[in-house]
Amino acid sequence: MAHAVDACVHCGFCLPACPTYALLGDEMDSPRGRIVLMKEVLEGALPLEDAAPHLDRCLGCQACVTACPSGVPYGELITSFRGWSEPRRQRSPLDRAKRSAILKILPAPKVFSVAARIGQYAKPLAPLLPAALRAPMDLLPERVPAMQPNAGFTPAKSKRRGRVAFLAGCAQQALTPNFNAATLRVLSRNGVEVVIPEGQGCCGAAALHTGARDEALRLVRQNLDAFHPDEYDAILSNAAGCGAGLKEYPVVLHGLPDEERARAFAAKVQDISEYLGGLLREGDLERPMPTSRPLTVAYHDACHLAHAQGVRAAPRELLRAIPGVTVAEVPEGDLCCGSAGTYNLEQPELANQLGIRKARNILSTTPDLIASGNIGCHTQIQSHVRRAGDRVPVMHTVEVLDLAYRGEL
Amino acid sequence: MIPEKLAPTPSSPAPRPRSNGVPDNPLAAELTRSLGPKKVLSARSERLNYRYDAIQFGAVPLAVVLPESTADVVAAVRAARAAGVPIVGRGAASGLSGGAAPLRESLVVSFTRMTRLEVFPKRREARAQSGVVTLSVTEKARPHGLIYPPDPASFRTSTIGGNLGENAGGPMCFKYGVTGDYVKALEFVDEGGEVHELTRDAYDLAGLLIGSEGTLGLITEVTLRLTPPPRYTRTLMASFPEVGEAAEAVSAAIAAGAVPSKLEFMDRACTNAVEDFLDIGLPREAGAVLLVDTDGDDLETVEEERALVEAACLKAGGAVRRAQSDAESAALWQARRSVSPALGRIRPQRMNEDIVVPRSVLPEVVREIRALGDASGLPLVQFGHIGDGNLHPNVLFDPRRESPQAVHDLAHRIALVAIRHGGVLSGEHGIGTMKRPFMREAVDPVTLGALWSVKHALDPRGLLNPGKILPDEEGDGAHAHP
Repeated sequence: MAHAVDACVHCGFCLPACPTYALLGDEMDSPRGRIVLMKEVLEGALPLEDAAPHLDRCLGCQACVTACPSGVPYGELITSFRGWSEPRRQRSPLDRAKRSAILKILPAPKVFSVAARIGQYAKPLAPLLPAALRAPMDLLPERVPAMQPNAGFTPAKSKRRGRVAFLAGCAQQALTPNFNAATLRVLSRNGVEVVIPEGQGCCGAAALHTGARDEALRLVRQNLDAFHPDEYDAILSNAAGCGAGLKEYPVVLHGLPDEERARAFAAKVQDISEYLGGLLREGDLERPMPTSRPLTVAYHDACHLAHAQGVRAAPRELLRAIPGVTVAEVPEGDLCCGSAGTYNLEQPELANQLGIRKARNILSTTPDLIASGNIGCHTQIQSHVRRAGDRVPVMHTVEVLDLAYRGEL
Repeated sequence: MIPEKLAPTPSSPAPRPRSNGVPDNPLAAELTRSLGPKKVLSARSERLNYRYDAIQFGAVPLAVVLPESTADVVAAVRAARAAGVPIVGRGAASGLSGGAAPLRESLVVSFTRMTRLEVFPKRREARAQSGVVTLSVTEKARPHGLIYPPDPASFRTSTIGGNLGENAGGPMCFKYGVTGDYVKALEFVDEGGEVHELTRDAYDLAGLLIGSEGTLGLITEVTLRLTPPPRYTRTLMASFPEVGEAAEAVSAAIAAGAVPSKLEFMDRACTNAVEDFLDIGLPREAGAVLLVDTDGDDLETVEEERALVEAACLKAGGAVRRAQSDAESAALWQARRSVSPALGRIRPQRMNEDIVVPRSVLPEVVREIRALGDASGLPLVQFGHIGDGNLHPNVLFDPRRESPQAVHDLAHRIALVAIRHGGVLSGEHGIGTMKRPFMREAVDPVTLGALWSVKHALDPRGLLNPGKILPDEEGDGAHAHP
């Protein structure tokens, strides 16, 4: 951590990239300021509880990492700091219970599905509930779909081009089961056989980024045991947050016994759009059918895809590969939508402001359709677009592609 | 002597840290009473972050005010004056000479919430509050067919108030000038809390405030001149085996009559630091790279000028690459903008020079500085607005590995090279605390006395950003300052 702190030359290039600086306009809620606060806390010059409110407001979107010419690994810094500080935090019993509930429910699709269903029926009561419970309820879709079982193996439908392992994900299995269904259909149609290895679990990102380091380590090791990178061309995720989490395994295990295994694993991890983009560039992607009318698709860069994984071009290329689609660039596109993992549950007010801003920016492109590659962004954007009174559909990039293949776009 | 930048952070007699947000000193309490809690930061965790700029850490301020209007600034100045506490103005704190870092316990006035901006296309003017981010002036003017040319590398971050305080430049300065050339009028709050509106006629007091680094008053609003953008721009990059050859090409191109809009250079270490960040295919092996824009409304002239520059580059031993698209030229300019912070990849700290020398001596100067760097064994890099003769030799260091005294000595020798060749200490970053120790060699005693007289006239109590620009008067005995 010391290296990362030293690497910051406090030039301020991160300021315009930071969503909380954009909202609050003060130095403590900027990446540069947070680095100074972390340093002061680590050196014992500032009590943790004084710095905590500002560090808690960081979304972990890593837009500052993209903007930083000095190469400060801010993402690693805030993650390590949260891991270090969480056991030292004084939290109220209620706060602890809430955090632990989130970390238990989110990674367990079946539990999440039940919780979401209860939430759905309790929605009319929302105005009567405390804010802490209202926030997650606001984000629930109007109808929580039925859980779909995961096929362990999906064969290639056309000439076999590859074999991949797939991380099925957690909350999205309950909220948007079609993400996975569409992913499997598109891969299979393009000659890629897909294995969903048994014994896999949550990627661990939510635990890691909220400072629950032991839990994160357990989940990481569970996945290292479940996936065998040598057997696959790639290990795919269709959720930007999870993909970024998987790619982070070597950092999580840095200096620990399984570091080498984590490196081999992470080297195979790709986002679904990266993998399909690779097929497209090789000329191996089946051509989608033209749309029934010209469509403007607003593509939203998920922070964990654009900033954490550096994947920007591939999703756009995939969408443009659909004849009839124009991809619209969203103003302030680099600014986080406010979802940010568990952020919209923990900092509902700021998350809400960012959500409103994002919806306004997206709708300013007058899109026929909104695409993104992350369940968190999806939920947040859908919720705020609806609240803005607009019914424009919000989809995963791969869902758009899937519809185009079926001639339904 | 250890320069102030390298000295340990001045320690404040730190009051016990508090987490309850209750002001822990009388000034903070008074400000909170008069301005309300939202505009005043008094907890130590908040104040800690208002002690630095992009180069230096100073003392933790006693309080921070985030004014939303000129009236708030007036209230803050009056409260600080009543308490006898120094006042330090601050924009986005991206400055490179220590200007916004308080040297002792002070009131920091941070302008980031004063962001009102109006464009008057018919008058080709913009009226901006101090906290307006520089780039946003052009962004708001562009739909009206106008731009605001001054473009410091930090223009996405830095504020207009800070730009005026430092009289910031940028790549466009070669043809279009620096911040001060675009200021038509400004409003400032003086040390007594009075508000003044200055224009550029009669006594050019506005000119005095520009570049005064907050030592004469706090600039709160400004009227800026806007211009239509040139219709055509062409970009080229030239690479040279050795840094002096790049400088020779610059002298030759200008002598041949070229007036490029931008004429910048960066040496090998800079190019590599930036390439590590952007990965856009900069020539890593070159000893120096020139980046050049020619522009204008007549395409033929623009191309002719580019050809003049190209010929000069080739003659000096360079290889030339023309940018083939707007995207390529944007990437090259982003590369140049990123040099300064990208140097953090080499060493975490740096001593940043901002010398300006006559263009006729550029080749000798860059070679002499290179040789000084090589002899010192310290990592020394050079880049800057070479077309203007404005060079930024930077001594990079890690205090755990390199001796601060050696860094200071090298910086001093570089300053002397500039002075010996008829140059000055600052082109656009201000003197701040970084170049303050060299001022006695750069400015004669009589002139320094005149500068002190101005300072005393506008800041009789010495409360405005003390310890910046002017070296202490002790030594000559005159004008002893309280």
